[in-house]
Amino acid sequence: MDYAIEVEKLRKEFKSYSSRSGLMGAFRDLFTRNYKIIRAVDDISFTVKQGEMVGYIGENGAGKSTTIKMLTGILTPTSGEVVVNGMNPHKEREAFVRTIGVVFGQRSQLWWDIAVQESFRLLKKVYRVSDKDYKEHMEHVIETLDIGPLLDKPVRKLSLGQRMRCELAAALIHNPPLLFLDEPTIGLDVLVKLKIRQFLKEINEKYKTTILLTTHDIADIEALCERVIMLDEGKIIYDGSLQRLKENWGEGKQVQFTFAKEVTDGELGVLTSDLKVGWRKGEQANSWIAHVPPVHVSDVISRVVARYDIQDINIDEISTEEIIRNIYEEGVVHG
Amino acid sequence: MDKYIEMIRIRFLMMLAYRTNYYTGILIYCINIGAYYFLWSAIYSGKSAIQGMSIEQMTTYVAVSWMARAFYFNNIDREIAMEIKEGKVAVELIRPYSYLGMKTMQGLGEGVFRLFFLSLPGVIITAFLFPLHFSSDMSTWGYFALSIILSFVINSQLNLLAGVVTFFTLNNEGLLRAKRFVIDLFSGLILPISFYPSWAQEVMKYFPFQAISYIPSMIFTESFQGQAIIDGLLFQLVWSVILLIPLQLLWKAAKKRLVVQGG
Amino acid sequence: MFYVSIFFQYMAQYMKTKLQYRTDLVVEFISDLMFQAVNLIFILVVFGHTTLLHGWTRDEMIFIYGFFLVPFALFGAFFNIWDFNERYIVRGEMDRVLTRPVHSLFQIILERMELESLVGGLTGIIIMVYAGVRLQLEFHWYDLFVFILFVLGGMLVYAGVFISLATISFWSDARSSIMPMMYNVSNYGRYPVDIYNRVIRYILTWVLPFAFVGVYPSAYFLGKKEWYGYAFLTPVMGVSFFMIAVFLWNKGVKRYRGAGN
Repeated sequence: MDYAIEVEKLRKEFKSYSSRSGLMGAFRDLFTRNYKIIRAVDDISFTVKQGEMVGYIGENGAGKSTTIKMLTGILTPTSGEVVVNGMNPHKEREAFVRTIGVVFGQRSQLWWDIAVQESFRLLKKVYRVSDKDYKEHMEHVIETLDIGPLLDKPVRKLSLGQRMRCELAAALIHNPPLLFLDEPTIGLDVLVKLKIRQFLKEINEKYKTTILLTTHDIADIEALCERVIMLDEGKIIYDGSLQRLKENWGEGKQVQFTFAKEVTDGELGVLTSDLKVGWRKGEQANSWIAHVPPVHVSDVISRVVARYDIQDINIDEISTEEIIRNIYEEGVVHG
Repeated sequence: MDKYIEMIRIRFLMMLAYRTNYYTGILIYCINIGAYYFLWSAIYSGKSAIQGMSIEQMTTYVAVSWMARAFYFNNIDREIAMEIKEGKVAVELIRPYSYLGMKTMQGLGEGVFRLFFLSLPGVIITAFLFPLHFSSDMSTWGYFALSIILSFVINSQLNLLAGVVTFFTLNNEGLLRAKRFVIDLFSGLILPISFYPSWAQEVMKYFPFQAISYIPSMIFTESFQGQAIIDGLLFQLVWSVILLIPLQLLWKAAKKRLVVQGG
Repeated sequence: MFYVSIFFQYMAQYMKTKLQYRTDLVVEFISDLMFQAVNLIFILVVFGHTTLLHGWTRDEMIFIYGFFLVPFALFGAFFNIWDFNERYIVRGEMDRVLTRPVHSLFQIILERMELESLVGGLTGIIIMVYAGVRLQLEFHWYDLFVFILFVLGGMLVYAGVFISLATISFWSDARSSIMPMMYNVSNYGRYPVDIYNRVIRYILTWVLPFAFVGVYPSAYFLGKKEWYGYAFLTPVMGVSFFMIAVFLWNKGVKRYRGAGN
């Protein structure tokens, strides 16, 4: 099996200094400084097969961006091995980047003042794409992303959603076998998100493009990725299928009650004290959510209904977002 | 008032945080003064005085005008232009302070920092290397202090004016650059105004530029005596009041425009 | 070859962008002319009070200034990346640059091109011709090639120093105000270096070799034989300083920490 990405004990440390407080402190900083080493990525190892779509998730500051930047050759690792597309990203940077596409959701790849197609033309040159390949490949991309009408507008006049679709197209000009997407859907509306997801699925199927995706929107991951890598404080805390994550963590149901009158946490706790139930306040007034093991669902409902006046009951699967929140709260992953 | 003082303090701390700048700043200051010293020595080449200034006075003039520049110089024109272009001004306007006042205070924080931590050590070092002439008369120092404060006011007003113009032109990089050259040349930074041909001196009387550098430096080198000092200070004072008028008018128009265009 | 075609591609884009903002272009021309005038006025005013500057005449000084404007204009058009720290490091544009298969310095130079600066070179040539005629300088056919060589050398000296300064941003996260101050220092290379004492002359020759952008190469055209040795060092200094800059750049890119976080 060919690997698109192989990472072995990858580490990145940043040296940062802490400022002393106050004016005197700042003055002392002129002469001596307190340095400390921050390990943003801490000895992580993983591999990604060709054609895989992997979600790379973690809270802010967990080290996602730093990893992506090392994988794309922007940052030099402190230690460890990185082989991407059979190359060492920062050592053979110029040859290497021709084999990848990168989209940073918060940063434009296109030139602000010129029309989109001018940017494309420039990138076509930069990536040395032949006219024939460009026509064959990009016509399809432009059509699928529906950006044809935008091509002669300058980037600064586009809306965020329009710009994002153009960014995506720009990253694909050289039809790279590997695509890095850092927060590609940030700030976009639902329709654009759907379109982008659909498009990514399609190129993955059509060209077997490997995709590594970071996002805060778990729906992106659910729609696209079979596999997730979860990062916390620079370490991988989970690497495996999304399905398994759900099975291990998503056991049980979420039962949401809307009470007619106000109730308290204590009352509910006492009511279900012999069952393994966690209560949490819902978003609406007088609504409470119980996290219940499957065998106790009917038990809990009957007890609550018998005791209180209920306006509404909902039974849901536990959402992936919920699962991930639980994992971060507890900090470990079993299995 | 507290918030403005806090702004000065924050800028001060920010400047202290950049220590590479600090060290190289002093070094480059010394190179600057040194180069000018030798340049002027060559220009004087044996003459005891040009336009009533001795070589010591001239060297001191150069040293002190660069020192004063460190105090009055700031980039608030560029900052304003940048904030306008990026649409951040609208946010600034809803904050509970005067935007232009805040910008001025930021400039003052930077200026005070550079005066004490860059210029002062720089002047002390150059005083060991080159024959500078410092007055022993305390009143000269007093007049000088007053004069550079007015320099700061006038230069900041001009910067604010140039910055606010961005509201109407959107991109005024060229204007800002041009303003900088005009100020360098006509403020007396690189040449005392008295060196210019008399017709040029006559014309410059009608512009505020010499109030920025020429007047404080002439006071410091004691090239101005008696009535000339008072006249100089009055010239500065009058300009710092006059400049308020276009500034207020332009700022009002700019705010109106901002409301209409929505940033 | 690839780099040449990329160069023209960027140039075409540049023209298109610039033509969108025509008024800016006019104002930029004017401000450039003013910049050139400031220094000329300094020379003229100073020579209103003296006839010789350490044995150099007014017209010779003007010639040096004219020559200086040519490499300086080329530098301004192609290598003037004074806002590198602000734009590429602080705002993280460097991330984007590093994901493209062209040398990062080359890309940035192309993106920051300011071709309108070239007008300054034209002004410089006019000033040189004016001074040259008044000085009745002799001009041989091969002097044209010497001129081109020296101009390129001077341009590379400038480029080398300022690119090296830009690389400081890779090591220190400080917002740098060194650049504008360095522009002042670079002015001193336009005056005859023999007016300075040893230390400053040494600095202007070997450390921040701005004398190779003004007085040294001009001395050749002014027929000042005692300076010929330095004059012909101009291209050598240019190439060496530029190579040092590229070396520092490549080292610096490895240290790049990325923006944000």
